[in-house]
Amino acid sequence: MIKRSKRWGYLVLLLVTSRLVLGQSTTDQRVGSLENLTIDSAKHRVFYEQRLYRNPMTAMLELSEMPVARTGSALVPLFQGVPIAQYQLTPVFRTTPLTRTDRMDYAAAVPFNGRAYKFDFRLHPEFMANFGNRERTVESKTNILLQSQFYLRRGLVLNWGILFPIVNDLDNQAMNVRPAPIFLNQFLALNQADFMSISAGLFYNDRYGLNVQYRHADLNSSWSYGLETSLTGYYFFPKNDFYYQSLSDLMILGDVAYRIGRHNVTLKVSGGQYLFNDRGGRVDFIRQFPNVEVGFYATKTGNGSTAGFNFAIPIPPGRIVQSNRVRLRTTEEFRWEYNYSRGYNIANRYKVGYQLDALLRQYHNSYLKSQLGR
Amino acid sequence: MAPRLPSFRSLLTSRAARRVALWGLVMVASVSPSLAQVNISGKAGLLYVPTATILSDGTFHAGYSYNPVNYAFRFNPDANPLVKTRNSESIFFVNLVVLPRLELNVNLLRPNGPIQYGARGIGDRQIDVKYGLLTERADRPSVALIASIPLGIDNSLVTNAIVATKHVKISSAIELELTAGYASPYYVDRADMRNDQNSTLFSGFVLRDKRDMKSYYLAGPIGGVKASFSRKGGVMAEWDSQHLNLGGYATLVKHWTVQAGVVNFDQLTFGTSYAFSLLSTKHSTGHDKAK
Repeated sequence: MIKRSKRWGYLVLLLVTSRLVLGQSTTDQRVGSLENLTIDSAKHRVFYEQRLYRNPMTAMLELSEMPVARTGSALVPLFQGVPIAQYQLTPVFRTTPLTRTDRMDYAAAVPFNGRAYKFDFRLHPEFMANFGNRERTVESKTNILLQSQFYLRRGLVLNWGILFPIVNDLDNQAMNVRPAPIFLNQFLALNQADFMSISAGLFYNDRYGLNVQYRHADLNSSWSYGLETSLTGYYFFPKNDFYYQSLSDLMILGDVAYRIGRHNVTLKVSGGQYLFNDRGGRVDFIRQFPNVEVGFYATKTGNGSTAGFNFAIPIPPGRIVQSNRVRLRTTEEFRWEYNYSRGYNIANRYKVGYQLDALLRQYHNSYLKSQLGR
Repeated sequence: MAPRLPSFRSLLTSRAARRVALWGLVMVASVSPSLAQVNISGKAGLLYVPTATILSDGTFHAGYSYNPVNYAFRFNPDANPLVKTRNSESIFFVNLVVLPRLELNVNLLRPNGPIQYGARGIGDRQIDVKYGLLTERADRPSVALIASIPLGIDNSLVTNAIVATKHVKISSAIELELTAGYASPYYVDRADMRNDQNSTLFSGFVLRDKRDMKSYYLAGPIGGVKASFSRKGGVMAEWDSQHLNLGGYATLVKHWTVQAGVVNFDQLTFGTSYAFSLLSTKHSTGHDKAK
């Protein structure tokens, strides 16, 4: 009996301290651009999530000037409610990976709460084009997507939206207002350096199905590698209808990436089976600038070879209107790739919400550190 | 200067001030080189001639230039026997310093006005690389190597050149930029390929000589001089290996440059470009401003 009462006392104490530690209502968890904000005053850590900026450093600097973050506080950015790593801005920038225990402690101390997030709506442009037709030089499919996310549980998000067509002289898709890609995504941090992203639903580029990505990325190391596999099929929305084909296209890709020098350059070699059973490889050169990413690539597969460039940019002006609960903004990331010669389905793939390698390199120690210039 | 230093240092201790100072540094670093006026294909240069001016890391240029009809690079039967019309040309370009000393330039050349059906399409797409072999110092010029990546099918602004550039201050306001170099007449392209069968990008390479055509861009000795006034504008003269060209430029609202010139005392060329640094957080982050 005595033992039990002791345990009860311990539990009460734990509850009280956790209340003290968290010590705030849900409204306080949404401050400015920050969501799911929790201050661990015992360990001088600030947990937060932000979806507004492409560059994680923007929120870090914003946060470091707020009174909640005392000098020397460690910052722990979350992605879909999952901590990425722990960052110290002063006296020298430092990245500390979070162990499995760290992650379990956080999950126990801060239970998942979907109300810690805003109703966030973003405007996301989509531009797919073929160039060079002799009759019409640019044949494009241009859409504006109004998108949002439901946070269902830790790491699990439902992405949904509405698509407004602007132009389509690329394919037979009618100009109907239709659902934007709708899919579930589970983000997982397995331990210090192993991450996963699992998506299921209707993706971009008319593909639906299941996509699984795994990546080993120590955020202090130059090396990282990953695997991606998916089983997808074709779908589209005719007027007042839904059309899909069988789930039969297997894609399996592996990659190794290496960061060179101090200029945030990543060299990435990837290969495997792309869409439509096209097998081959690809080499990428990626340079991360503070807000923009620019890349060049070359690829060679059974269907042919091509090269080109790509970029990822935030679309201004960012935040349009915001209250404590609702926000409308432009997308934090518009990604686009140009290939010099189109050929026929050379190393084709589709887009899910985010690619693990692109997400994680934004949280790499050297990338964030370089922006502080010290 | 000495008595000022301690107060300046104390200013730096506050983090906000440090950030401002950092921005200032980035801006100062990007002001002079990123405002470099650019040549017809968007490389730091004069009118047709590129210079060895080495832009600071992260500098991005985008712009347009107009090439007059008598000197058409591509839509001209003298330059390309398959073309039946003669047109002036529009050149669209982007130029990015992807690494310190290393620049990539993507340009697209399109005809102005009607052309025959068979010559239609997106236009002539070209990718060039520039590498700064030597940076400029008091006792030596900067030297740069420029090469066109031979992925194109019959590119017409091919630049395979080595150039040297030296800046000389004449007075506090006037600066001279002297450039000399040599452009190789030889180049590699994929002449055997047809655009609509272009599914393997790394094949069909052929060595060619620009001088086999009656009209061509940069083959032989090139050079020129530019006099800038307080970096707000200037005048220039160049030898593009075939003609003497004269022109001027002006920089408006810090990032925007306009320029114009006369090619071979005959026809007018003009262009405009906008430049900023991707390393400064000021641009491209509309997201920052909306506090």
